[in-house]
Amino acid sequence: MPAVRTVEATMLGKLDWSAIPLDQPIPLIAGAVVLVAILGVLTWVVVKGHLSYLWNEWITSVDHKRIGVMYVLLASVMLLRGGSDAIMMRIQQAVAYQSQGYLPPEHYNQIFSAHGTIMIFFVAMPFVIGLMNLIVPLQLGVRDVAFPTLNSVGFWLTASGALLVNISLVVGEFARTGWLAFPPLSELSYSPGVGVDYYAWSLQISGIGTLVAGINLVTTVLKLRTKGMNYLRMPMFCWTTLASNLLIVAAFPILTATLAMLLLDRYLGFHFFTNEAGGNVMMFMNLIWAWGHPEVYILVLPAFGIFSEVVSTFSGKALFGYRSMVLATMAICVISFMVWLHHFFTMGAGPNVNAIFGIASMIIAVPTGVKIYNWLFTMYGGRIRFATPMLWAVGFMVTFIIGGLTGVLLAVPPADFILHNSMFLVAHFHNVIIGGVLFGAFAGFEYWFPKAFGFRLNERWGRAAFWFTFLGFFITFMPLYIVGMLGMTRRMQHYDVAAWRPWMIVAAVGVAVLTIGVICQIVQLVVSIRNREALRDRTGDPWDGRSLEWATSSPPPVFNFAFNPDVRGEDAYWHMKARAKQQSPERDGPEYQDIEMPRNSPTGFVCAFFATIMGFALIWHIWWMVIVGGLGAWATFVVFAWRDHDEYVIPAEEVAVIDRVNLEQRRGLISMAEVG
Amino acid sequence: MSDQTHGMGRNDLAPGEEEQHSVGARILGYVVGLVLALMLTATSFFIAGTDLVWQPSIPVALIVLAIAQMGVHLVFFLHITTGPDNTNNVLALAFGLLVVFLVIGGTIWIMANLNANMPPMGHILRMQ
Ligand code: HEM
Ligand SMILES: [Cu+2]
Repeated sequence: MPAVRTVEATMLGKLDWSAIPLDQPIPLIAGAVVLVAILGVLTWVVVKGHLSYLWNEWITSVDHKRIGVMYVLLASVMLLRGGSDAIMMRIQQAVAYQSQGYLPPEHYNQIFSAHGTIMIFFVAMPFVIGLMNLIVPLQLGVRDVAFPTLNSVGFWLTASGALLVNISLVVGEFARTGWLAFPPLSELSYSPGVGVDYYAWSLQISGIGTLVAGINLVTTVLKLRTKGMNYLRMPMFCWTTLASNLLIVAAFPILTATLAMLLLDRYLGFHFFTNEAGGNVMMFMNLIWAWGHPEVYILVLPAFGIFSEVVSTFSGKALFGYRSMVLATMAICVISFMVWLHHFFTMGAGPNVNAIFGIASMIIAVPTGVKIYNWLFTMYGGRIRFATPMLWAVGFMVTFIIGGLTGVLLAVPPADFILHNSMFLVAHFHNVIIGGVLFGAFAGFEYWFPKAFGFRLNERWGRAAFWFTFLGFFITFMPLYIVGMLGMTRRMQHYDVAAWRPWMIVAAVGVAVLTIGVICQIVQLVVSIRNREALRDRTGDPWDGRSLEWATSSPPPVFNFAFNPDVRGEDAYWHMKARAKQQSPERDGPEYQDIEMPRNSPTGFVCAFFATIMGFALIWHIWWMVIVGGLGAWATFVVFAWRDHDEYVIPAEEVAVIDRVNLEQRRGLISMAEVG
Repeated sequence: MSDQTHGMGRNDLAPGEEEQHSVGARILGYVVGLVLALMLTATSFFIAGTDLVWQPSIPVALIVLAIAQMGVHLVFFLHITTGPDNTNNVLALAFGLLVVFLVIGGTIWIMANLNANMPPMGHILRMQ
């Protein structure tokens, strides 16, 4: 018997049948539904013969546009997962007054931990990285990002982390520690299960993916710009991309190192953050927030960029105070590294330290305020069109100001001693993350969808989605400010205070409204796909845009531009249009040239495949499998590094055929504008 | 892909991209770098174990040697120069240094402050 057990332990580590939560119907059913859905889609793909299309055109694609779309798709799917967690928590808190509700504590704790982890790392991050990938090379007027294959590796590693988090739903459990897994709770002595390991390894794997994406985008902005695109002519979104990715490169290694130390504690008996043997829990707090605060700006800066583009396009004006906007962006980039202690004011620092970090936190609101005023002045005197992206932008300004102000309130240490870790804090960060990041992501989605797919989205459903989401947000989260001030702390599985109850019910109603908003968005997508012929964007410039992504067709050809555009000022494309209207149409037969593009490569997918295996094996202590996964990933890398040819040529004739169609359409657009 | 970097001209090089030196000169550069790096490493090990110098100065000496080591790596292996073709690299380095300074300096300050404010163990036990 013991011999059998050792063989099993070698082969399967800690894994056995008890890992499947047969006694918990909710995750099991949810997992089964997802599994059936995935298998269904896979069967459909195989039966319809789309498998090779999927493999050649998407999975192995190193085209920044395709990778961007896949990032956004991953984020959207994970948004549904994280959203289901949110609905379950709101229902729990609405019913768990003087009772246990329907979710037992150990399950409730896993849900709020998974919710936070998923929403930050697998919704907000991939959504903004996806939009940056999709648009930044187009706005810079270039053909690709700096490291196309690395880009694909980054995406697939992110997907690998997301997959591990979802596996934890049916095999084992997820962390019960909250989205940042504070020790000593997350140490082996208090969390002996595999939950924290799932958490840490999925973040380690996806964190490497994020770092890779950050390096790639920083290099792209710094090194690949078209003729004449100097720094102060770049669209605002490129600037915020630069700032955000600089923060990724600077901050993500801190997260990786911190989690590595936690893992050393858990796997090899180290004592970085334990209570005994000289470990120091506060070091974890310090390090995780040194990453954590920059992280919130990594998320919100790209959103600021999206709003800058949207506000200026739909007001028909150049962005007001462009240079002050650049300065504000870079100021935020630096100051965001000087405020992290505000997340642990209450944990023992003296008044001098608290005061300095409190003041620094309030100072960061100044450049943010500059931005808000610049957007308002851009709108002032403009001819505003309230298309869906603009609705999201205006909704953002209203919502984000409230969130920013409550942030400043929390940055006052004495106030924070009362409000820290209360529902007020929960309301604050949802206020800035939903009202800032998510609204920004949706604005970008609506704004750039025609560019990515060649047809617009249905406006009526888009408006409906906006209004339900906007109202739903306020109904859900304003009550949380109130209960926070009534003393309710975060992460409560049940409570006995009568005064909180009505507000929790209101919040549950709010989440229902929010859900309607999400459903509207899905309906919008379906309706638009069905009517795509009527919604087709033939000109490549559906919104009368100002920056270079609108200068090519929708969707753009693989090579983006037949000629790298020549930029002579800010709002490059706007001025090109103005010039084109004055001059006679451009020379008839431009001299097309061959274009070299990077070849597709399965490196990213294969690497991530092995990384997933390795992560899973590490979580369950299956050491032989760790070695297999590690060797596999390493071998993939070696094969890629020794590749012979990595580019293919698109002949000039083919470029000519593709580009002439684009030029034709565009002339039509300009002559129409002359008539109108 | 090849015609993309035109906007930048040739006035901005990535580390290792510069080609103007002959192979011999480049190898010499790496050899000098390697020798310096090894010397610094050996000195650190020697200092750490020696009683020839005033003991409290040892940590300071190690820090100085470590920083010198980083300098050698940056100059000889990563080819950071102050030339005009290196603006991006120098700016990136400056940003990196700023962040390192903020995070390490802040951490030392915060942790020292937390330790100073921590009630002595006896006090905590009495409270329980
Ligand atoms: C106007 C600038 C802002 C200030 C002054 C500010 C201030 C604060 C403070 C003091 C806390 C800690 C409160 C506590 O734990 O008691 C906090 C928490 C938080 N803030 Fe902000 N904030 C600002 C903007 C933002 C933005 C733009 C985001 C995200 C896009 C954000 C996301 C968060 C998150 C996620 C937390 C809580 C994390 C947790 O404890 O789980 N904040 N903020
Ligand atoms: Cu913060």
